[in-house]
Amino acid sequence: MTIKYKTIKEIKKMISSKVISNKEIVQEVYKLIKDNNHLNAFITLNEETSINKAEELDNKASDLPLAGIPIAQKDLFCTKGLRTTCGSKILENFIPPYSATVIENLEDAGCISVGKTNMDEFAMGSSNETSNFGNVYNPWGDNLVPGGSSGGSASAVAAGIVPGASGTDTGGSIRQPASLCGITGLKPTYGRVSRWGMIAFASSLDQAGPMARTAEDCALLLNEMCSHDIKDTTSLDEHIPNFEDNLNQSLQGKKIGVVQDLDLSSLDNEVIKVYEDSLKEFVSLGADLVDISLPNLSLSVPTYYVVAPAECSSNLSRFDGVKFGRRSANPKDLEELYTKTRSEGFGDEVKRRILIGSYVLSAGYYDAYYKKAQQVRRLIKNDFDEAFSGVDVIMTPTTRGPAFDIGSKGSDPIQMYLEDLFTISSNLAGLPAMSLPNGNLDNKPIGLQIIGNFLDESSILNFAHMYQTRTNWHLLTPEGEKK
Amino acid sequence: MSWETVIGLEIHAQLSTKSKLFSGGSTEFGAESNTHVDLVDMGLPGVLPVANKEAFYKAIRFGLATGAKINQTSSFDRKNYFYPDLPKGYQITQMTKPIVEKGSIKILVDDSEKIINITRAHLEEDAGKSIHDLFEGETGVDLNRAGTPLLEIVSEPEISNAKEAVAYFKAIRQLVTFLDICDGNMAQGSMRCDVNVSVKKTDASELGTRAELKNINSFKFIEKAINYEIDRQIRLLESGESVVQETRLYDSEKNETRSMRSKEEANDYRYFPCPDLLPVVISDKELMEIKENLPELPEEKENRYIKEIGLDESEAKIISSSKTMANMFEDASSKTNNAKLVANWLVGDISALLNRDNIEIDESNLSAENFGKLIGRISDNTISGKIAKSVLEEVWENGSDVDEIIESKGLIQIQDESLLEEIANKVIETNPDQVSAYKNGKDKLFGFFVGQVMKETQGKANPKSVNEILKKILS
Amino acid sequence: MDKKTVTTISYLSRLKIDGEKEDKIIKDLSNIIEFVDQLNDADTSEVEPLANPLEKTAKTRSDEVTAKNLKNELLEIAPSSNEDYFLVPRVVE
Repeated sequence: MTIKYKTIKEIKKMISSKVISNKEIVQEVYKLIKDNNHLNAFITLNEETSINKAEELDNKASDLPLAGIPIAQKDLFCTKGLRTTCGSKILENFIPPYSATVIENLEDAGCISVGKTNMDEFAMGSSNETSNFGNVYNPWGDNLVPGGSSGGSASAVAAGIVPGASGTDTGGSIRQPASLCGITGLKPTYGRVSRWGMIAFASSLDQAGPMARTAEDCALLLNEMCSHDIKDTTSLDEHIPNFEDNLNQSLQGKKIGVVQDLDLSSLDNEVIKVYEDSLKEFVSLGADLVDISLPNLSLSVPTYYVVAPAECSSNLSRFDGVKFGRRSANPKDLEELYTKTRSEGFGDEVKRRILIGSYVLSAGYYDAYYKKAQQVRRLIKNDFDEAFSGVDVIMTPTTRGPAFDIGSKGSDPIQMYLEDLFTISSNLAGLPAMSLPNGNLDNKPIGLQIIGNFLDESSILNFAHMYQTRTNWHLLTPEGEKK
Repeated sequence: MSWETVIGLEIHAQLSTKSKLFSGGSTEFGAESNTHVDLVDMGLPGVLPVANKEAFYKAIRFGLATGAKINQTSSFDRKNYFYPDLPKGYQITQMTKPIVEKGSIKILVDDSEKIINITRAHLEEDAGKSIHDLFEGETGVDLNRAGTPLLEIVSEPEISNAKEAVAYFKAIRQLVTFLDICDGNMAQGSMRCDVNVSVKKTDASELGTRAELKNINSFKFIEKAINYEIDRQIRLLESGESVVQETRLYDSEKNETRSMRSKEEANDYRYFPCPDLLPVVISDKELMEIKENLPELPEEKENRYIKEIGLDESEAKIISSSKTMANMFEDASSKTNNAKLVANWLVGDISALLNRDNIEIDESNLSAENFGKLIGRISDNTISGKIAKSVLEEVWENGSDVDEIIESKGLIQIQDESLLEEIANKVIETNPDQVSAYKNGKDKLFGFFVGQVMKETQGKANPKSVNEILKKILS
Repeated sequence: MDKKTVTTISYLSRLKIDGEKEDKIIKDLSNIIEFVDQLNDADTSEVEPLANPLEKTAKTRSDEVTAKNLKNELLEIAPSSNEDYFLVPRVVE
């Protein structure tokens, strides 16, 4: 009995019908990790603790919703007593004395955190090529990127090593890797999931979310991840529904917004076709397509690349070698301590973004860049508010194409930034959005993005789940379709 | 051609909340290093600030007491710079929308009053402490203080000389202590002050370049530092040089100001709204409650003492000018029904002791309870005023209970008229020469007889009774 | 985005860009700034900046000491410390 490629739901059934023990599950996870070492999806493993937890569960069964489910945790979440690197050299030996609320929530629900997944350094990247701990590989090819920044989580789920993983999404970092790896990933409404213990990249954009094989599993994980946390004042104090409740609701008469201002001309024809075929599928499920306009959408990437670097340039100032993290050797004075520590500890992309951030906030440039970007941000949000007055969800392709080769985006950072063309706007507006597999081009998966209204993850999950009852894209694995 | 000085003060007052501005860390002074540091104070990865409402309430009290505009919706900004005692690499402050704006305060310099306008007062977090002298080649960092709430009070540049600056600082200190928002303890750093000084020719329309004197903690030093700086600037300008806009430190030993590292000036703080903190709103209801519960201020107290309690003006002024004195007066008065006597002693004997020992009344061994008792025992004639002085000395030394002292030392005043008569008669009998001398006109000898009776009674005789009895006998 | 500007913002960020990487950084940053200059196309007159997508106000805490003494744990994870303080090279004021 193998857990490879199984969903959370399937594994729960296996546990309850006792065809496999908790210990066997965990042991198999570690074997799968070893067998797939070349993917480099993990930075730190949590073997001893995990085996112990599993053994405890075998001794005394638990009815917790995720009891015994192995989950991979993105190395951006602080885990008490377990190394947390954020994919960076500057935190290469950081052992936090506290855990992120998300981690606690998932573990309180019974899941077993089997390890910390690899990621783009400080969540800055769209290909997992900026990690201090080496690139992550997409299990769908030999030299393909898994996407980023939650590349390790996506790869681990796609390879069937774990049924689910936690990710974070600031400009698309859950959805884009989900698309490139052929899995399902959801970025909730900003504020649904507590950011306490989540190493901050851009505070007004970051959000944690689930990555799994199905929308149903995402709902299961989301149920446990969400909470109102008084330690995070940006955490919402709104009613949290049971996200499994509306999965099977009929889509009859529901409205899907199709964005008219989306410039699809740069996409390959086959990518456009995949997208249009998905829309047709939803129509056959009873939904209506409605043309909507998001006039400021094309400005979302430049807006993001002012706001996010500005916030990160400030958030990353705490990494100064004084109180925690790596310090450079033998600094001769304080200035050298700061400059050497940070220059040695941060990679090039992180440095670029810090510099841009400092620039757009500096005296004389603040109004022209930062303030301007925040104003455009409001325009983008207003566009969505307007659009959602007439539709239930909005759909776009998640990415411009399937996974690309490692190293192929060259040395121009802007090429990489444009990877997030479709995903960034929902972060700016704080809206929930998901990617689910909707095609396969040359044995490379690709995804569909569903954006929902504020607090309306339920609609997204409903549309996604219904699609997954009618299509097989989510059943594909690098080794063929699941039975 | 004469020179004019333009001075503005930025006072940082530590708000007397129990916990920090953004975390549940304790603000208690003097604790062992790094024991009051919360995860949030440390700026560890993933931690988030949550604002302390009480800090807002205290800031609003200041705003109300200075007639300022209260911004019921205020927000926080980040001020970015690097320093070892600034854990996050930024300070959370209020740049764009401070809680309090535009107030004013009256100051008294050499008996003349002047109004100084206050530009703004905003909340911000304090940094930790860097300790430079303990280790060879290293600086130690103690983050206990990091995150403590500060109210930064910025005056308009309307102060004209060092004396006014000190008067202003004193006025602010008096205000914040009376409002119960800051303990005003300069030695502990509860109030620190940066002074901006510039000079200009009287007929010049533009202000001169200013220098900022940083972190001065005492009234004496403020006055000296300002005067030194004014001289320095005038000398520079008169010799044709110009004043550099810079930060300077005051060296109290050498009595001079010195330029700090010039890199300070290269600092661009890149202020922007703190994305972790949404704006804080104070409701109308909360504002009303704060208004209604505003502590009584010195002027109000002074008027009340004069009108309702009947203290004379000078006493009322002295007692109402210090929060600790006023508290002691009010507490002790509530324990006895002789408020005027309480005031007398406070302004007289007790003030003398405070000056002698160079302490504040709340640092003494005298409790309000005990003080009340002391006054009570004088009022009810248990002890005389003179004996009371010695009782006070004893209480001052070791805080012992007044009644216990009176008891153990047998100080109870002798009131028994028949006993006193007996003793008085005895004195008269044993001093016949003095009696005849007195009867022959040496009036001053009356004091001798009183003294003798007092001696016989170890000072415990009720002086009034003794006087009356002797007068009767000797007439 | 010239060398002087890059030097200034590098200093503000306490980053040192190595000699050989300097030209690339200047080029990258220039390109990025040029890219974001597109924002000027938008008409944002009278538009209120949006700092955080949540249009709500902050919850606050009551004034209570809730923190425990974490001295040992905190000094332990420090790169350099003694039993009492975090240590850095001597700072001259």
